[in-house]
Amino acid sequence: MKDYQLAWKNLWRNKRRTLITAASVFFAVFFALVMRSFQLGTYDSMYKNVIESYTGYIQIQHQDYAEEPILDNSFEADPEMMKKVKSDPNVKDVVPRLESYTLAASGSRTQGVMMLGVDPEKEENLSGMRDRLVKFKLTEDAIEALKSTDLPDRTLRLLDLFRNEAYSSTGRMMLDLGISTEDSTVVLPVLRRNASFTNKYFSGSSDGEVLIGSGLSDFLKINVGDTLILMGQGYHGTSAAGNFIVAGIIKLPSPDIDKRIVYMPLETARELYAAPGLATSAVLSLKDFDDKSIDKTAVRLKTFVADPLAVKTWRELNALLLNQMEADNRSGMIMIGILYLVIAFGVFGTVLMMMAERRREFGMLVSVGMQKSKLAKVVTIEMFLMGLLGVISGIIASLPLVYYGHFRPLRFTGEYARMYEDYGMEPVMPTLLPDTYYLWQTVVVMIIISIAIIFSVRKIFRIDLISSLKA
Amino acid sequence: MKVIEIRDLHKIYKASDIEVHAVNCVNLDFQEAEFAAIVGPSGSGKTTLLNLLGGLDMPTSGQILIDGTDLSMLKSSALIDFRMRNIGFVFQSYNLIPVLTAKENIEFIMSLQKWIKKEREERSFELLKAIGLSDRTNSRPAKLSGGQQQRVAVARALASRPKFVLADEPTANLDSKSASTLLEIMEKLNHEEKITFIFSTHDPRVMKMARRVITLEDGKVVSDDVRE
Repeated sequence: MKDYQLAWKNLWRNKRRTLITAASVFFAVFFALVMRSFQLGTYDSMYKNVIESYTGYIQIQHQDYAEEPILDNSFEADPEMMKKVKSDPNVKDVVPRLESYTLAASGSRTQGVMMLGVDPEKEENLSGMRDRLVKFKLTEDAIEALKSTDLPDRTLRLLDLFRNEAYSSTGRMMLDLGISTEDSTVVLPVLRRNASFTNKYFSGSSDGEVLIGSGLSDFLKINVGDTLILMGQGYHGTSAAGNFIVAGIIKLPSPDIDKRIVYMPLETARELYAAPGLATSAVLSLKDFDDKSIDKTAVRLKTFVADPLAVKTWRELNALLLNQMEADNRSGMIMIGILYLVIAFGVFGTVLMMMAERRREFGMLVSVGMQKSKLAKVVTIEMFLMGLLGVISGIIASLPLVYYGHFRPLRFTGEYARMYEDYGMEPVMPTLLPDTYYLWQTVVVMIIISIAIIFSVRKIFRIDLISSLKA
Repeated sequence: MKVIEIRDLHKIYKASDIEVHAVNCVNLDFQEAEFAAIVGPSGSGKTTLLNLLGGLDMPTSGQILIDGTDLSMLKSSALIDFRMRNIGFVFQSYNLIPVLTAKENIEFIMSLQKWIKKEREERSFELLKAIGLSDRTNSRPAKLSGGQQQRVAVARALASRPKFVLADEPTANLDSKSASTLLEIMEKLNHEEKITFIFSTHDPRVMKMARRVITLEDGKVVSDDVRE
């Protein structure tokens, strides 16, 4: 009989004990993976939101801009250097921006905002801004009108939860309002008639027009066609003020940015801030934006982007956010650590019980001629299989939830949503698809099992035959 | 032919300040195909002597030579290997492997010795037939009576044709009918296989059937009767 055959038979000698132990491992792995997946998914979503709405993956800036983000730390790009940047194998395009903090006002309301002067065409290619234009808005009037239609009951009930919500994506709206693909052919035309939002992106004649975030639009109570007053400080202390027409409203996934963003064409911004030809950053549009490619690209660029300019990756650009997430991550790790500690005690309890129960059998096996090393091997396989059973079933059980949570994330509404938005976070909790964190959870559980194995192997090698046979 | 030679064997246990002489200057020889019983009152040193003969315990002094090999000279893993190849064990409480069938239990030591499957199967069927359990080949120990389990234990001990079998109180947990059946089987196998059997026992039936009875008292051999 092969060792693994004997181990497999031993595994099922006490089915209940094996299943309870495997179940404890299963629940630990399952909860750890799901918890971790929500945690990492939320971070991932936040990073993506900030990167895609604002920072991009790599920027070239004046080296002092990060410390002191003022127009005086802007730069005029050297065409030769920019040509070289563009020729990098991972760079699709270089998108210049002029950014400044300014005061926005409408009627009696004012708000400090971030003004971003952008090249409309390049920015569209970089961040798909046109797709972020609000297409639907569930205003009070729209909801009243929709309630008198024959929309499905579920959608009618959900309308109140999403009062005043703006949507740049039809898919997201369908998800929020519980509209199935089958119902969409009937329901969407009704929504289009009653809740669609007229918007436009910058065109060639956009001088004097701005796009604003939907959060800012709600705060200032202004709409498309209204006038927005901007007042701030321009290059080298000049005063910068002007009236602009709101051409469109955009919805950004990061609520913090959505509440404070104003876009205007780059040339308009340069004129407003008396900064002709200047940019505060050049955002790079990349072909591959996984972490490795980003780092490699940054290293290549740093070889020729010289003083006073600096190359910054998204990690450097969002250092504060990363620190906050790291602090949160640690609290999550502590929770998972506690979970595994409980499991470790469970596994050790089982091992102690198993060793005590089978002491005489082990004594007999060594007496009749089974080498201790062979016995240790059988017990190791047994425990390894038991751990693996729990780990694999935990992984399998977590997959549907993790995939579902990724494609249909938990979306908070009401007070919870407001709380999230107050912290500058999108009120959604997506999961992160299986990644290296799956491997790590497996490794941690197998380390716990390995410690239990070492303990039992040690016991086997120290077995006293006479007392074992009397046990 | 001598299978076992015991020379000036002593085993002393120390419990706090008291020394207990469990085996006291024992000198014995066992020949091939003997059917011997070691008897004596409780605490006389029967089980200790059997444990020393089986290499499960080490003597304080003296020698045990099995086919000329001094057990005390073997290192731990070599001793385990030596036991596997030369000694069969029958324990009082059967000690079968609960997850294996009767046939698998019998084959267990043969597989440790890496016998090929065909030879293992032939030998296990032969023994199952000899112990009258050829219809319980695939039964696990829990499905067998105490007597049947002890018969399987005897078959397991004999399976790889050891030089001798040590049986510690093999009938102690059996009813009289099962004990008689077991003894008859052991005697038959002793005749057929020419394997030495050494029992430690209190059971008068075993003493009656044994062809040699060694009596121990306070760790010493007080009589050694060989019957024809």
